Amino acid sequence: MDVSNDSNGLDNSAFENGGLNDAEAEFESDEEELTSDKALQVLESAWLNEKFAPELLPHQQLLVECMVQQIKHMEENVQRLTKGDIRINIHTMEICRIRFIISSYLRKRLDKIEEFAVHLLKEDARRSPDEKYMTTAEAQFARDYLTNIEKLFETVALQHMPQRCANFDLDAISMEPNLKKHVFARANKDIPTILISGVHEMEVSFAKGSQHIIQYSAIAHLVKDGSVQLI
Amino acid sequence: MFVKDLTKDFYQVVAGKQCLILVNFDVDGICASKILQSLFKNDNVVYTLVPVQGVKDMKSAYDDNAEDIEYVVLVNCGGNVDLIEILQPEETVTFFILDSHRPYDLKNVYNEKQIKLLGDPTLEEAIPEYDVVFNDDSSDEEDEEEFSDNEEESAQNRRLRQHEARINKKIKRREWEEKREEALFHYEQLSYYAKSSAVIAYEMSWQMSRDNLDMVWWAIIGSTEQAILNKVESSTSVLESGNLQSHVSRLTHARGGNIDKQQLSAIKVTYDKDLRLALYRHWTVEDSLKHSLPTAVALRLWSIKGEHRMRELLAEMGLPLCQSKQKFTSMDLTLRNEFKDMIEKLSDKYKIRSIVSGDFTMQYGYRFKYCATDIVYAMLAILESTGRDRPPQLCFLEASDCLSRMKKEILEKGIEKAKIMLGYVFKAAQSLLELKQVTNAGNFLYVVISEGMLHHHLFAHPHMLLMLAQFILRAYAESTRSRKTATLPLVASATFSEEEGTCLIVGVPPVLEEQPRSFFGKAFSQAAENTNSFIDQDYFDVTMARLKSEDRPKFFDALSALLQ
Amino acid sequence: MFCRDAVKLVAELNQTEDIKPFNEAVFRQVLEEVQSLFEENSKDVNTITEDNTAPKNTLLVRHYAMNRNKRCLLTYLFHRMRRLRQARWELGSIIPPEISKNLIKPEAQWFHNYNKSLATYMRTIGEDGLNILNDIQPPKSLYIEVRCIQDYGRLEFDGQSVMLKKNTYHLLPRSECESLIRQGYLEHVSS
Repeated sequence: MDVSNDSNGLDNSAFENGGLNDAEAEFESDEEELTSDKALQVLESAWLNEKFAPELLPHQQLLVECMVQQIKHMEENVQRLTKGDIRINIHTMEICRIRFIISSYLRKRLDKIEEFAVHLLKEDARRSPDEKYMTTAEAQFARDYLTNIEKLFETVALQHMPQRCANFDLDAISMEPNLKKHVFARANKDIPTILISGVHEMEVSFAKGSQHIIQYSAIAHLVKDGSVQLI
Repeated sequence: MFVKDLTKDFYQVVAGKQCLILVNFDVDGICASKILQSLFKNDNVVYTLVPVQGVKDMKSAYDDNAEDIEYVVLVNCGGNVDLIEILQPEETVTFFILDSHRPYDLKNVYNEKQIKLLGDPTLEEAIPEYDVVFNDDSSDEEDEEEFSDNEEESAQNRRLRQHEARINKKIKRREWEEKREEALFHYEQLSYYAKSSAVIAYEMSWQMSRDNLDMVWWAIIGSTEQAILNKVESSTSVLESGNLQSHVSRLTHARGGNIDKQQLSAIKVTYDKDLRLALYRHWTVEDSLKHSLPTAVALRLWSIKGEHRMRELLAEMGLPLCQSKQKFTSMDLTLRNEFKDMIEKLSDKYKIRSIVSGDFTMQYGYRFKYCATDIVYAMLAILESTGRDRPPQLCFLEASDCLSRMKKEILEKGIEKAKIMLGYVFKAAQSLLELKQVTNAGNFLYVVISEGMLHHHLFAHPHMLLMLAQFILRAYAESTRSRKTATLPLVASATFSEEEGTCLIVGVPPVLEEQPRSFFGKAFSQAAENTNSFIDQDYFDVTMARLKSEDRPKFFDALSALLQ
Repeated sequence: MFCRDAVKLVAELNQTEDIKPFNEAVFRQVLEEVQSLFEENSKDVNTITEDNTAPKNTLLVRHYAMNRNKRCLLTYLFHRMRRLRQARWELGSIIPPEISKNLIKPEAQWFHNYNKSLATYMRTIGEDGLNILNDIQPPKSLYIEVRCIQDYGRLEFDGQSVMLKKNTYHLLPRSECESLIRQGYLEHVSS
């Protein structure tokens, strides 16, 4: 039973307040009124993209906060229903599912942040505040993580070593994501030209709805602006 | 108090609340609890399920788990003991008892507030009236007030009349007590089994329209166990199969579509004439003939002459010896197909009684095809396979896994264990019969599995000992040809625990009795009282009990004196 | 041969996936080796003159040995740290004593700091924060059947309370069971 894609999945009529009143206001400023359905779909596609992309994708903080608020509203509404009402089960399941997607999405991001911490901090330092890939909290987490590692190394090993050797460059543990990895992708709209670098330079075009296996580096920019969905 | 409408008065009361389920260690109980579990799971009822082996287990499980719980469901346990006395529950706790052991303890029947017996009271037999058993009069020395109105009477006359009235009252009370003793004696004398709990649970789910083929299959297994272990008479089990067969056909038809063109991966339950040879589809023909009750008894397969007779039978059937020593599934196709008919035809000649009976088979997918008796044997074997690293609860879990269609490996393991179990039963019976260790104590037969025997520790399990006892009784009756032995019951005993010096005793009613009603429950407790022996009637099936080994000889003496 | 002890440390990492007791003895030996290499190098550095360039190779060899030692030590620490991090995600914020007795103080300190930064991060999600360590598996149903394999005691949730004793079976809401399954008190019974 795929409730999430059902148009009545987040049944606003069952609730006294429509779930998204506050978040909708935020989105209106982006000139896009997201209904609760659409928001869930955007979250799911962001989650899938994050799962399959080798590098950290730009954050979706607004969306995450909106969904967390949505969950809270739903929980409050469920509390108000009398016990034994069949809607309780369905809505609780929905809440569990949304919570799972959000948690999985954030966990995947944290995994990538820990793996590529040095590289990501460097990259984000170069970008403007609007374009940063990590949220402020995530960046703080990355910085704390690195500080902790340094402290650990320092206290256990480095301070017992002679002065000349006791330096440690964080770059030594910096890892960069493998952008040449191949991924499965589906085009959301017609894309005329994609340049594939490598031994033979090739140009391909994607038709809408088609599915391909392709090097991530060729479509990285398309994933980030939403024209391609990783599957 | 009885609850007839299970849906309204049991299920809807418990739904949405928390409950504690206590289940006895028998196949019927496991099937019934499986049906209840799946119903509860779909309704998100929080439950706690504890398997219990006896009355002591039940008490400790109740004490451990029953804080704050208002509803307790007892499956195949607790019906024939005084629950309130044993468990000492709070006033707010309600007990629902789904038990096939009879007779019900009268205190449970007449407790209106806390105890609800799930079942139809009209099907129950001869429960004494309330007034016969319980005396509600407040006091014995109730003085009569009506005599005080006539004040003109002299004091002496009044006293005389009061005295008379008191004597009358005493006489009446003694009469009442005698009648009560008699009624109780008749009621509690015989213990027997009623309708399978799994079938009752299934009918409840049918009433709620939540039944499916899985549940009816579990109900079938529950009632098949009763037939295999001779807990009910064969006519009842035939009627029950008819009933279940109608459910099966209703559900199969309800699935819609042409039955023949059903997807092979869907589950299919069929009812067929089948041979009562244990596990014959998973074993060799020879082994199956040797270890099944009807053939083993008729052909006297424990003796060497019996072996010859079996070879004769096989030869007449046209089954070559090399084929009969192979697994059934690897025999030639033509031989396999003819096997059933050949046995049927030859059963008269060799006096094999009741070899053919109806049986249910379940088929799921291409490689899962089992008949109900196979599964019952597998579950029994698993339940009894407790060991050092296999606590009883693990065995309970595995046995209930046998019922699920997904756990084929556990079922296969169970069938292998069942083959071993039947093999041991046969070997033990063979050695006991050849060494003529079945003793006739006048009114009953008894046999003791001594510690010198091979695998004697396996018979410390109730079901195995019960099967052995039934086998020996029938075999003995067949072999002595005396009319009298057919009317004698049998008591079998095996060492239960060497450190504690206890032994397990099981009583089996005589062969000639059509109805498997046993008086051993009462007989055991009476004999123990008479000889001052320590007896532990801990099992819910009162024909089984534990005794101190040193008390055993005088216990048997007392028993034989009782049965005069 | 230099660096043999350091390689021993790395080999120990390879043996099992668990966190073994911190091999302080070998660790100290490696540090001493680094110290002695350094001292010998500093002695030899002073003997290099225009003519006597031979020691340059010895210097190089010792230098590489020192770096290799350093690298092995840091690898040892890094991988233990990663395993500890994995333990945090699987077992929760309290480490069971089997693991904590194998850690040295700085590692325990690291764990504590990691916990703190994780908690700070989780607090910033949404308004009250979201514990992303729950819901590891996609939810299939609201309630699951579990078997209790160790005595736990009373479990309270949602106005109801259940007594968890060894060898009993229960039907409980998934969210309550997850952490107990991870800690090993309950076992999921699949049907």
